[in-house]
Amino acid sequence: MPEAPAKPSGLPDTPPNVAAASREAFAAWVDEEPQGRAFGQVLVRPVPLAGYHLCHIDDAGSVDLEIHDDPRAAREIAKLTGEGEYRPLKSSPNLRRGWALRLNGVPGLAVAMNYLYPAGIIHWYLHREGRLEITDYRENAARQSGIYKRIQRLSDEGVQDAARACCEDAVCLKKTLWNVDSGTPLEMDRGNGHIPCPEPCSIFVSFARRVRLFEREKKRDLDAAGLSPSEKEDLVALVETAASGAGKLDFAREAEFEKPLNERRLRYRRLTLIPKLHPAQAADNPNE
Amino acid sequence: MKALVIVGHGSHLNEDSSLPVYEHAARIRERFGGEYDEVVECFWKEEPAMRHVLDTVEAEDVCVVPAFISEGYFTQQVIPRELGLAGPVTYKDGKAIRYAGPLGTFEGMADVILERADDLLRDKEVKPGRRALVLLGHGTDLNKSSGGVIYMNAERIKERGLYDLVEVGFLDQDPQIAEVVESVEAENVVLIPVFIAEGWHTRETIPEDLGLTGEVTRLANKTIFYGAPVGTHPSMAALIAARARETEQEIDTETQVARSTR
Repeated sequence: MPEAPAKPSGLPDTPPNVAAASREAFAAWVDEEPQGRAFGQVLVRPVPLAGYHLCHIDDAGSVDLEIHDDPRAAREIAKLTGEGEYRPLKSSPNLRRGWALRLNGVPGLAVAMNYLYPAGIIHWYLHREGRLEITDYRENAARQSGIYKRIQRLSDEGVQDAARACCEDAVCLKKTLWNVDSGTPLEMDRGNGHIPCPEPCSIFVSFARRVRLFEREKKRDLDAAGLSPSEKEDLVALVETAASGAGKLDFAREAEFEKPLNERRLRYRRLTLIPKLHPAQAADNPNE
Repeated sequence: MKALVIVGHGSHLNEDSSLPVYEHAARIRERFGGEYDEVVECFWKEEPAMRHVLDTVEAEDVCVVPAFISEGYFTQQVIPRELGLAGPVTYKDGKAIRYAGPLGTFEGMADVILERADDLLRDKEVKPGRRALVLLGHGTDLNKSSGGVIYMNAERIKERGLYDLVEVGFLDQDPQIAEVVESVEAENVVLIPVFIAEGWHTRETIPEDLGLTGEVTRLANKTIFYGAPVGTHPSMAALIAARARETEQEIDTETQVARSTR
């Protein structure tokens, strides 16, 4: 390691280093629990005198795991699902199984965790300390530019539906801490996990852009039955896909929101289209 | 402590978009590890987001290098905004953060392009006749810098006299790449995309538009050698490290000048 350079002039008094403090706090939290801690879909187990053992929570009892000693192997582990699909959002509940990381110290543990859940242990620590800065949707939207500027016009209702479709535990294991704005809380199941979500992420921003396009379309283009062109496009795609045989169900990729058969897009339709198609059923199941 | 933060665009759909940033970061850790205590990746469309990456960095002395070709929307607007940068050097949260320029304008870029072309031609049969190097840029009519950086590199390469011709073509502005490749008067055309990563354009639209069949396409009157994007070349790691070094020196010099003239 090179000698640390002289402190640059004009630097204010250095506050406690968040990266170092979070790493130590996370390790201490894991060390307290010999059975290990679940963080997202990862089980982090302390191994006395050896370090840490990480694997998928569903592989806790497995012996036949692919063992890695390099913490940076976590990046490849986190990259694709078990089916080989790219994972643009690491907190999606689709971490693949079959691997284990044997890490011999706290720095390696932090490196691996940062690939499995980027910035996850930092946010976990700051939230625990009551210092995590939250950025609500409107504040995040206000700084967007280019093709994302239009998310500023998404209605409060649109933000609520987008968050339910995009952020609940079924599709993202982070605990959503942000709101529409300071006076408008999100009305959703924020999740039970340990990883806080302090601000709409880039996947959410992209999804919000799509929902905004749906909103615009609703006002102008509804047919006699009250359906919008994109709603009809999705229904047609679903029927065609299902009719071509259950073995051929081919869903769009995780962040391919412009395609009808995208999971988050269909979750949004469940919230907004089903009540239109079946008002009585929607009234019976207000949470669906 | 000292850290290098490499910023990539990243993608929600293409797993190869961020790969060069990860690979160059790994090379820098291996080859220039003595210079940095931490080498960290972050992205616009992937995690860790620029918005949160500085909290994951322990060092108080941080240099940010954008893995982008040209000065423009991302380097001037998005990256400074998301990282909270106020200029060439920003002091915040106990860190001094220096911000480097994009990679394409850096003088070492011409060398990496030439290396990429050499690698492409190695072990391949090059027929007698004139050799043209064609630099392919994305380009956009919205921003002159995007195309300007491609012309800048073409000029730098021309000066070296290694190719009979050095031409420039674009996807989204004139001259269009298909016309350039068709009209260039050379029996051997070496086509190098000045892009950061492999993606839809380099793998699909470009080969399709130009009728390329792979690395070597033999047409009636010319042979086209199609290279991988310059940004994935291993030498980009040294270029990123040099860009960071230059930024540190420049800012130190400016600070000294500013002090001495106070």
